[in-house]
Amino acid sequence: MATHIANSYTPPAELARVQRLGFLIGIALLVVSVIAALLVPIPGLRRQFFHSYLLAYVFWIGIALGSLALLMVQHLAGGAWGVVIRRVLESSTRTLPLMGILFLPILFGMHDLYHWSDSEAVRETEMLRLKSAYLNIPFFIIRTVIYFAIWGTLVYFLNKWSAEQDETADIRFAKRMQTLSGPGLVLFALTVTFAAVDWVMSLDPEWYSTIFGILFMGGWGLSALSFTIAVAVLLANREPLRGVLLARHFHDLGKLLLAFVMLWAYFNLSQFLIIWWANLPEEVPWYLRRVTGGWQVIGVSLMIFHFALPFLLLLRRDLKRNPRLLSIVAVLVIVMRFIDSLWLIVPELYKNPQRPYEGHFGLSLFDLIVPLGVGALWLAWFAWQLSKRPLLPINDPLLDKALHGGGGH
Amino acid sequence: MSSVTQEHPHETVARQATADHLNGGYPVIEPGHSFASVTDKISSIVLTRRTPLGWFIGFAMAFAVVQLLMLSIAWLLLNGIGVWGNNVPVGWAFDIINFVWWIGIGHAGTLISAILLLFRQDWRTSINRFAEAMTLFAVACAGIFPALHTGRPWLDYWLFPYPNTMGLWPNFRSPLIWDVFAVSTYGTVSALFWFVGLIPDLATMRDRARHWFTRTAFGLGAMGWRGSARHWHRYETAYLILAGLSTPLVLSVHTIVSFDFAVSIVPGWHATIFPPYFVAGAIYAGFAMVLTLLIPIRRFYGLKDFITMRHIHNCAKVMLATGLIVFYGYVMEAFFAWYSSNRYERAMMYDRITGDYWFLYWLLILCNGIVPQLLWSKRVRENMFVLFGICMFINVGMWLERFMIIVQSLHKDYLVSSWGNYSPRFWDFGMFFGTIGLFVALIFLFIRVLPMISIFEMRTLLPEAKVKEEQPSQV
Repeated sequence: MATHIANSYTPPAELARVQRLGFLIGIALLVVSVIAALLVPIPGLRRQFFHSYLLAYVFWIGIALGSLALLMVQHLAGGAWGVVIRRVLESSTRTLPLMGILFLPILFGMHDLYHWSDSEAVRETEMLRLKSAYLNIPFFIIRTVIYFAIWGTLVYFLNKWSAEQDETADIRFAKRMQTLSGPGLVLFALTVTFAAVDWVMSLDPEWYSTIFGILFMGGWGLSALSFTIAVAVLLANREPLRGVLLARHFHDLGKLLLAFVMLWAYFNLSQFLIIWWANLPEEVPWYLRRVTGGWQVIGVSLMIFHFALPFLLLLRRDLKRNPRLLSIVAVLVIVMRFIDSLWLIVPELYKNPQRPYEGHFGLSLFDLIVPLGVGALWLAWFAWQLSKRPLLPINDPLLDKALHGGGGH
Repeated sequence: MSSVTQEHPHETVARQATADHLNGGYPVIEPGHSFASVTDKISSIVLTRRTPLGWFIGFAMAFAVVQLLMLSIAWLLLNGIGVWGNNVPVGWAFDIINFVWWIGIGHAGTLISAILLLFRQDWRTSINRFAEAMTLFAVACAGIFPALHTGRPWLDYWLFPYPNTMGLWPNFRSPLIWDVFAVSTYGTVSALFWFVGLIPDLATMRDRARHWFTRTAFGLGAMGWRGSARHWHRYETAYLILAGLSTPLVLSVHTIVSFDFAVSIVPGWHATIFPPYFVAGAIYAGFAMVLTLLIPIRRFYGLKDFITMRHIHNCAKVMLATGLIVFYGYVMEAFFAWYSSNRYERAMMYDRITGDYWFLYWLLILCNGIVPQLLWSKRVRENMFVLFGICMFINVGMWLERFMIIVQSLHKDYLVSSWGNYSPRFWDFGMFFGTIGLFVALIFLFIRVLPMISIFEMRTLLPEAKVKEEQPSQV
């Protein structure tokens, strides 16, 4: 019984290799793509690069921010399910400085990404003029700075207090983290909503949907949860967590994954049904571009592999209790989260402004290489952060219950 | 691995203490109770204690208001729905507002009984029976409105798809028809869930009843329950299945209600955020109503041992969280009305803030957005008077929300020539207050004739029930 208090849950040494390898691969892939985008004389290649880069950025920051939300939910609700994955979540949130630096290229690509950043177009189009108080370059930058300031503050204090809790075993820190998480989630919801509008919705400045922020919160939460489950399974296979992360932990995480998969489908169905049915000229082209000209294949694959298949698989109790099978589903969901981000972003690149209601399918090698490059860097940073602290919050008041208690909540 | 095979009692206590620390330190049942005292205390309200005078006075008042409902319905049937204030362009008004308001209130019951059961939240135990009863009565009140709003309620069965010689078939593309199915399914499943949960308690009541009539009545309800292991096994399975069936209903019913509005193209109705925002609003309104009823009842019947501060705190926290989601919905509606740059959307929002109904809009923001922020404070959550007051604000606020959505959005739409205003008439209020009377009267009857807290589930919360806990499973 006393063994786990003496156990410091030192992270496995392999993390250093992941860190090194990820860093090298990430730099190599990104350098190659930047050189290609600058030097290869194909018209539109730069635009393609920036769209692929935005896709990579939105997908990977989704894991970091989704982890921040899950972390705060867990502090607030005090569930034992979250204690065992807290260090993974915290390490994901600490990649935020990297994501802050990686935002800079988007600023260089604004004219390639956002039609509203073109002052000529704003003068000529009434719709853009009416929105220009919000959609303009200085305010876009100010807002992004505000988002990162808020996220950074939350990440800083939640990680700082968690580290101090490890050292001092003072219950005060658990209380503090709980107290911060309430207002933190409110701020999180607002910042993520407006970030989703700025970064993704405004790719088509005419289109709007009031559920969009919720769609992103649900989607990013799902990204973070499936990533965390995959990492937790890897950790459960080796020391020091072998025999500590048990079937019932994965059972709880699997149920949560099922709930998130259903929520994702619910939010998306709500948006689709309402827009498709009303069939308004300023709304429905956004979907028409995504369900014609080849994109319908991606759309249907989302229904099947992002919802139906994981939903049916996760209904099974034995699957949720089997870490290996659960991790396969989690990886499937991660891949589909990427496809979903692609489906949101890339069709805008191939939009014909004269015929916005037509979809034109197109993919580029960049859509694969750039996300892999950013991802390798992100994973390297994540592995580095994960190796810095014990893999479980060793002095958390709920840890004992989480490891030994009967009820998971 | 081997470290988990031993469970020492003192460690369980220590763990409980740390877990309670994060819960504000309140237990789900006050210490000092035994199996017998729990059973006695709950069953005596129905079987042995004298019915207090307050009960008669309260019931008589509620019953008097039910007569207003009867009168309003009779007058409506005699004269047609022209006695109401709604007319083009505001074709939907009190009838739909009250329908949505009541159906929303029901959602807390389903959430408490189904979702919290699946989440293994033990604090649901002492309030689920009560909340489910509230759900049933709220659905009954809700159903009255659309059934009468058809104008010829004796032909309401046309809403159901059945082969007939008239060649009538409902339009399945209309969310109004989905409503018929959503609400009738909701009513049916809620009633079943409630009744199945009652069976073991009805048997307890049967065994304790002294009068032959009471014994027979409870005996009929208990359906031959003898408490054998096989009975319990089947009971647990059935209850879990019903919980699983009820869970999607928490989301689906109000989602479909929101589709009634959102699939149209009326500015103020057509918003993609409506489904989750309606669901959150329903749970918000429902918990406010649960507390509105529980706070006086727990005081009046001295049930503070069973409905502890833990329950009050948790209900208040759920209210705060769902209230914030609702407030988020208002912010999104306002922001996107501007961001859309669509002139009709912008005009609708501008009218909402400054137009004929500006006062109600800002009152709504006060009731649903500002006042509930007091719930952040632990001291407020512990003060029953303040908490009760906040719940009243939310009850009013949720009604105003539906008023704004329905009436304000309709009174000025695309055609300027058909703009018009709405004012309710006496019979609108008569129906509305009448259903409140019906609801309260049914609650009074419920607490008089049925155990309002689940006796057998309360017993599982006692320390005696936890002696032989299963060993944690190992892998």
